[in-house]
Amino acid sequence: MDLLEVTDLRVDFGGLRAVDGLNLNVSQGEILCLLGPNGAGKSTTLDLICGKTQLTSGSIRFDGHEISNIPEFKRVRYGIGRKFQVPSVFKELTVDENLQVARSKHSGLLQTLSKFRHRHSPEIERILELVGLETRRADMAGNLSHGETQWLEIAMLIAQDSKLILMDEPTAGMTIQETDKTARIFESLRKTHALIVVEHDMSFVRQVADRITVMAQGKKLAEGTVTEIENNEAVKSAYLGH
Amino acid sequence: MTKKLKYDLVAYALFAAVIFLAVPAYLNFEGYELNTFARYLSLGIVSLALALSWGTAGILNLGQAATFGMGSYAMAMHLKLKSSQGLPDFMSWNNVEELPWFWVPFHSLSFTLLAGLLIPASIGGIIAIFMFRARISGVFVAVITLAFLVAFQLLVIEQQGYTGGQNGLTGLAPLTLLGWTVDIYSLSFYYLIAACLFVAIMIGIYLVHSKFGLILRAIREDADRTRFFGYNVASYETAAFCISAALAGWSGMLYTLVLEFASPTYMSVSFSLAIVIWCAVGGRESIIAAAIGAIVVNLLEVRLSDVFVEGWNLILGVTFVLIVMFMPRGLHGVVAGANDWIARRKDSRVSNAKHSNLKSRPEIKGGQ
Ligand SMILES: Nc1ncnc2c1ncn2[C@@H]1O[C@H](COP(=O)(O)OP(=O)(O)OP(=O)(O)O)[C@@H](O)[C@H]1O
Ligand SMILES: [Mg+2]
Repeated sequence: MDLLEVTDLRVDFGGLRAVDGLNLNVSQGEILCLLGPNGAGKSTTLDLICGKTQLTSGSIRFDGHEISNIPEFKRVRYGIGRKFQVPSVFKELTVDENLQVARSKHSGLLQTLSKFRHRHSPEIERILELVGLETRRADMAGNLSHGETQWLEIAMLIAQDSKLILMDEPTAGMTIQETDKTARIFESLRKTHALIVVEHDMSFVRQVADRITVMAQGKKLAEGTVTEIENNEAVKSAYLGH
Repeated sequence: MTKKLKYDLVAYALFAAVIFLAVPAYLNFEGYELNTFARYLSLGIVSLALALSWGTAGILNLGQAATFGMGSYAMAMHLKLKSSQGLPDFMSWNNVEELPWFWVPFHSLSFTLLAGLLIPASIGGIIAIFMFRARISGVFVAVITLAFLVAFQLLVIEQQGYTGGQNGLTGLAPLTLLGWTVDIYSLSFYYLIAACLFVAIMIGIYLVHSKFGLILRAIREDADRTRFFGYNVASYETAAFCISAALAGWSGMLYTLVLEFASPTYMSVSFSLAIVIWCAVGGRESIIAAAIGAIVVNLLEVRLSDVFVEGWNLILGVTFVLIVMFMPRGLHGVVAGANDWIARRKDSRVSNAKHSNLKSRPEIKGGQ
């Protein structure tokens, strides 16, 4: 059984059908890359899975549960994490505090009420080193550069440790070296997590993708391995534009 | 221990030294003078209660005076029953012939103390659940809580036979606590109120520095993002609102003790706005600063309103506008800013030294 099974997913925004009859499966330990031209409905698909947007029809099953009608925080508790296209971290909290918020295995009221803030956890230390923010832990997240903010949000998702992580354009605005490093981090996440990654950077996709789904105008255009997609005529004409 | 917690604990100790030692010494341990000061201390609690919901969680509750009033009336009902043989006097004037059922349990002090905390918390909780489930936030919360305050005050004034109406509850008996009859002009009474304030501050500091407080700050900044980390934002906001309401109720109970009466003016819009001003002047991001804000503004009010009898409200209003414009983080912001500035100067001196080291190295290399 797949970790995530999306069946006949549809959403209407007024007259616009942003996602139209989409089927999507992701299994444990898999990295699925979601490609498509601007406005294809990639971010909206992630929104539907994590509950930011309510679907019009269809079904989303995650880890054996139908989740299409439950509030977003409950979906998160089942194990779905989300990185947004516009980096969104808590700018008025320190890097360290951002990570503590993200570590949300115990997110109930009584659990947080009974937890007085401790200073160093080896886990957070390790994650900070992984993304190279270990010297910035006491800084306000609002003082980070764009690239560092991207890293912080990625670090937060690692700290959150969800079974399925939805990444919306994680390498946007990164240099080639930074993109490389992100690819390596994703590789290391693959063992224990499933990922859906929306990306435009093809060299990054080649490095990390187990499978690719291409969307256009809300529909699935093609699906397959990197080579299959790169040789797909429909994709070439619709997406690559030649 | 985090740096912020260290600052808070130092501030706590200093503030405690001032309230427990310096102030009584300055006022010559004189009960009458200290009673006035005890009034400010009791108001410190409602101000820090607002700091908890507004400063930490971003919930601007303009109805704080309503929950304050509930606590204040709970205490007054108990003391009124103690002072009356049978039916309280105002009831018979209003042709109420039997003690209403909801007055009966206030014969018990334990019930009264619990009710003074739990009634505001639960009524606040009901409002909060409706608001926060519907994801109402920001200025709409302010409007709804303000509307509730106005309606609640009207209800209390209208139901004269049960509440004493416009006159409030007067002619109260002194409180008897574990066999000790409280004399409000005694030094021990002052210490009782001061102890309550410091327990309340401790609770506030604990909450702010717990993970719960961290999540509230995250919600204040971006409720949606917090949801996607698995936190039930509505229940966090409701909890903050309820705790704040209970603290306000506590403050109200003490206020009734100090003044020996309860009045519907405690539930007025102007009183509620005054709480916002104290909190803003002190600094809504800090529990201690908010309490100090209440004390300072009230102290000034008493001193200055003698001088500018009618103009005081105007001065208060103008001060508030100036503070919002030029010191949005209140007195606390000024102190914290100065602290940061000193720390940064130290840092830059250290890093300057490092820089000059770095610079000198390539020069040496160049020379070789
Ligand atoms: N909340 C909304 N209300 C109305 N229309 C929306 C909403 N969200 C998205 N859309 C529309 O749905 C379509 C798909 O948008 P979406 O953001 O999913 O595209 P995308 O594939 O992520 O594109 P990009 O690569 O630019 O990020 C777009 O036409 C967009 O304008
Ligand atoms: Mg997008």
